Amino acid sequence: MEETKLSIALKELAFQLEEKEKRAAELVIANKELVFQNEEKEKRAAELIIANKELVFQNEEKEKRAAELIIANKELVFQNEEKQIRAAELIIANKELESFNYISSHDLQEPLRKIQTFASRLTGDELQNLTEKGKEYVRRMQDAANRMQGLIADLLAYSRTVSTERKFETVELSTIIEAVKRDFLEIIAEKGAIIELQEMCETEIIPFQFRQLMDNIIGNALKFATPDLPPHIIIRSRIIKGNQLINPNLFVDKEYCHISIVDNGIGFDPQYKELIFELFKRLHDKEKIAGTGIGLTIVKKIVENHNGIISATSELNKGATFDIYIPTLHDK
Amino acid sequence: MFSGSLHILLADDDEDDRVLFTDALNELKIKTVVHTVNDGLELMEYLATKESDLPQLLFLDLNMPRKSGFQCLKEIRSNHKMAEMAIAIFSTSLAEKDIEETFMHGANVYINKPNTFDDLKKVLNKVVVTARSYQDTFYNKSNFLLRL
Repeated sequence: MEETKLSIALKELAFQLEEKEKRAAELVIANKELVFQNEEKEKRAAELIIANKELVFQNEEKEKRAAELIIANKELVFQNEEKQIRAAELIIANKELESFNYISSHDLQEPLRKIQTFASRLTGDELQNLTEKGKEYVRRMQDAANRMQGLIADLLAYSRTVSTERKFETVELSTIIEAVKRDFLEIIAEKGAIIELQEMCETEIIPFQFRQLMDNIIGNALKFATPDLPPHIIIRSRIIKGNQLINPNLFVDKEYCHISIVDNGIGFDPQYKELIFELFKRLHDKEKIAGTGIGLTIVKKIVENHNGIISATSELNKGATFDIYIPTLHDK
Repeated sequence: MFSGSLHILLADDDEDDRVLFTDALNELKIKTVVHTVNDGLELMEYLATKESDLPQLLFLDLNMPRKSGFQCLKEIRSNHKMAEMAIAIFSTSLAEKDIEETFMHGANVYINKPNTFDDLKKVLNKVVVTARSYQDTFYNKSNFLLRL
């Protein structure tokens, strides 16, 4: 009986011991876990400190950047204001130039008309009283006065292309060319000229400016005709994509109306292909071919008013070709 | 129809133009009586004194000192007593604005001062003949600007 109790107590002790060892082993594991977790936390803390420093740095950078932006912004506002001031100044200067141009051309006509009228009286009833020399002097005076009249008329036309309202309308180009043909009826008949319209299209243009443009180009083709050869002018126009064109100055994604005017006149040396569009530039002696050197400048100005480009190609005595490209849509 | 001399008045501040104008009219076959005034103020004073014996045809320069031709045109056309008088604008200007506005304000014809004496005679002849034959109708918008 005693023995049995003892053995039970012993077993119980042994069991408790086992349990304690188990618990101790568990504690060791738990402790290790804790140590590990602690280390992790310290690592995390160290990382956080680094991250924090990074944040502080980034914050400082942002503030710097913001300060820089404020300065840049102020600069922009200033530049913008400057631009507006400059633009306003330009508008005023332009207006002054226009009115100066208009008034001077206009007021110049007045005394010129007197010179012409009184000269015409000398060649009228008074002609019989003049010697041959005197008649010659009057003739030269009249020539000079007529040249000046042409100059003033062209200057006025030029200033109009700069100053007038730009109202685009969709127009069939052939109607404009037919009107120009009527302007030159006499010269066409006199020279036996042929103006041939091939393929024609309609496009958005400023009608009266385009009439002036055609007037100047066709007028030139008739004027600079090859001696003893009736002028033959071929005009065509068609809608074309920018990427189909050889001209590198066109936008590939835009649509253009391409107008070409080809003549069989005396042409010009290719080295002058840019020069001919400059104001008052003439390639010919004014005794041989009359002109003011404004016509093609007006043409170029008008093409620019249409946001287009123009180029001239020629060889001496082999006719000239004018290529005009006008965008079909005018976004403004 | 009108018989006898046509009574013409010119208002122009330019002496050369007044001389050329009178010379040219005197060389025409049509009989005319020409009187000239030197500016717009003088014109209106002259017309005020001649209310019962107004000229049949007035040539009016636009750019004049003291009172412009345009101002005169407006005053004349707002006075019913002068309704019968034909008005020919006689100017160096070919500005569309001038042509448009003088037409709107009741001028009968617009003459751009010619560059030769011959052309001057031709335009004056044309206007005088028209004024003599059809005093009522005269010109409409499409042929308002006289071309030779």
